[in-house]
Amino acid sequence: MVNEHIEIRNFSVCYGKECALKNVSLKIPNNAITVILGPSGCGKSTLLKSLNRLIDEVEDVRVEGEIIVDGKNIYDKDVKLPELRKKMGLLLQKPQVLPFSIYKNVIFGPKLNGIKDKKKLREMAQKYLTMAHLWEEVKDRIYEPAHKLSIGQQQRLCLARGLAVEPEILLCDEPTSALDPLSSKKVEETLLELKKDYTIILVTHILRQAKRLGDFIAFFYLGELVEFAPAKEFFENPKDERTRAYIKGEIS
Amino acid sequence: MERIKREKLFVLLMKLSLAIFLLLTFSLFTSIFFKGISFLSFEMVFSKPSRGFYMGGGGGIFPSIIGSLVLASSSTAIAFLLSLPLSIFISLYSRSTFSNFVRNFVDLLWGIPSIVYGIFGFFIMIYLGLKASLLAGIITLSFVVFPLILRSLDELFQNVPFSLKEASLSLGLSKFQMAVKVFLKAIAPGMLSAILISFGRAIGDSASILFTAGFSDNFPISLFSPTSSLPLVVFYLYSSPDEEVSGRAYAASLILIAIAVFISIISRRIGKRIYGK
Repeated sequence: MVNEHIEIRNFSVCYGKECALKNVSLKIPNNAITVILGPSGCGKSTLLKSLNRLIDEVEDVRVEGEIIVDGKNIYDKDVKLPELRKKMGLLLQKPQVLPFSIYKNVIFGPKLNGIKDKKKLREMAQKYLTMAHLWEEVKDRIYEPAHKLSIGQQQRLCLARGLAVEPEILLCDEPTSALDPLSSKKVEETLLELKKDYTIILVTHILRQAKRLGDFIAFFYLGELVEFAPAKEFFENPKDERTRAYIKGEIS
Repeated sequence: MERIKREKLFVLLMKLSLAIFLLLTFSLFTSIFFKGISFLSFEMVFSKPSRGFYMGGGGGIFPSIIGSLVLASSSTAIAFLLSLPLSIFISLYSRSTFSNFVRNFVDLLWGIPSIVYGIFGFFIMIYLGLKASLLAGIITLSFVVFPLILRSLDELFQNVPFSLKEASLSLGLSKFQMAVKVFLKAIAPGMLSAILISFGRAIGDSASILFTAGFSDNFPISLFSPTSSLPLVVFYLYSSPDEEVSGRAYAASLILIAIAVFISIISRRIGKRIYGK
């Protein structure tokens, strides 16, 4: 654990009187997969959405504490949201393609960033679709509408689209929960390949997935960070009573 | 046993309402069709009314067809241009309490009979020193369709899945870019049908243009002179005691229906094409 470009300090999120996250402090290691693990309703997704400030879109939400990304608190007033969000790719539970062609989905980010050269855009599309293990399946039909792809393919397209914005961090919110086993496997493999270049935060409630992918595990329960440890240590020698119960399947 | 009986009863009721619906639609179309078809001719559709047209003289209602098309399309265009930014504002920017206030208010506007808009339009007209004219008719009609088009656009924006919002924002789009670059495309088919529905409403409305657009036998050549329109032609023709003349009202209605049907077919075609893309 040398470099951390994300550090969460005393962070709470409340809706009215209900708090989804309570005083969470956590440093997220670079170039590794950090799994946010926990039963549903424990604040996992809230944490993820706090990182790219999508939480701002929820009305009447109260945020306390700090999240430091690259040395700056992202909740400071002068933070530009589009710039912040470009640093972080987001993979949702259910893939959400944009209502355009496959090609236009991938190059949407680059185009937004001012790249106009057609040849360059073509190359980028191929590069990122290849990274997401989708290129071979769609190379002959990249001008077809994206919604015609299968759900599994759509999720990989969303990954390619996110990567094309050239983020440093990938936020994944149960990205395989809506997918068939084969597509899930491909997405998981891609994430494992990507971790050498990206800081990946993966939300899941599936223990086995956390074991397969996680380098570090942060276990959340009822809005609190219960335990944070390297994966091996977490599974072999959990310190907290609640962690042990969750690993054994006693709480879910 | 009891449950099956009840279910059968309800299915029967559904079929009954279907039968009533079909009967009504069928009799509406057939009665207008058969009463109007004998008066429908090339001259009726494509020529100007003669001086004695409303007393049984020759000529046709071409200027009113054009007048109605101009009235309906211009008012729809104005209402659309006005409601698009507002619908984006209330569905994406403002707090939900304010948005709901606007929505309730617009629903209230929608409930106001169009004759009231007509009177209001007349009032504005006098205030601005306008005569009964094409312009006054367009302005008044745009009041009539504005709530309809605003609420449809608002519904469309609200029905965009939240995840599309998340996906767009996470790519680094600003809210405005998201609305314009992604959402407009996502709601395009619905937007088109909203426009066409409002066009259909505008072309059929008579009360609002009664005082404001005036009446004339001429083509709508100037914004500041009165215009002819189909609903009012139907009204004036049908008021005639002469059967020869009141029959023409059915022919004019037939034309009005034909335009409406044409518009709805086109809107579906275009909608499908955009959706299929």
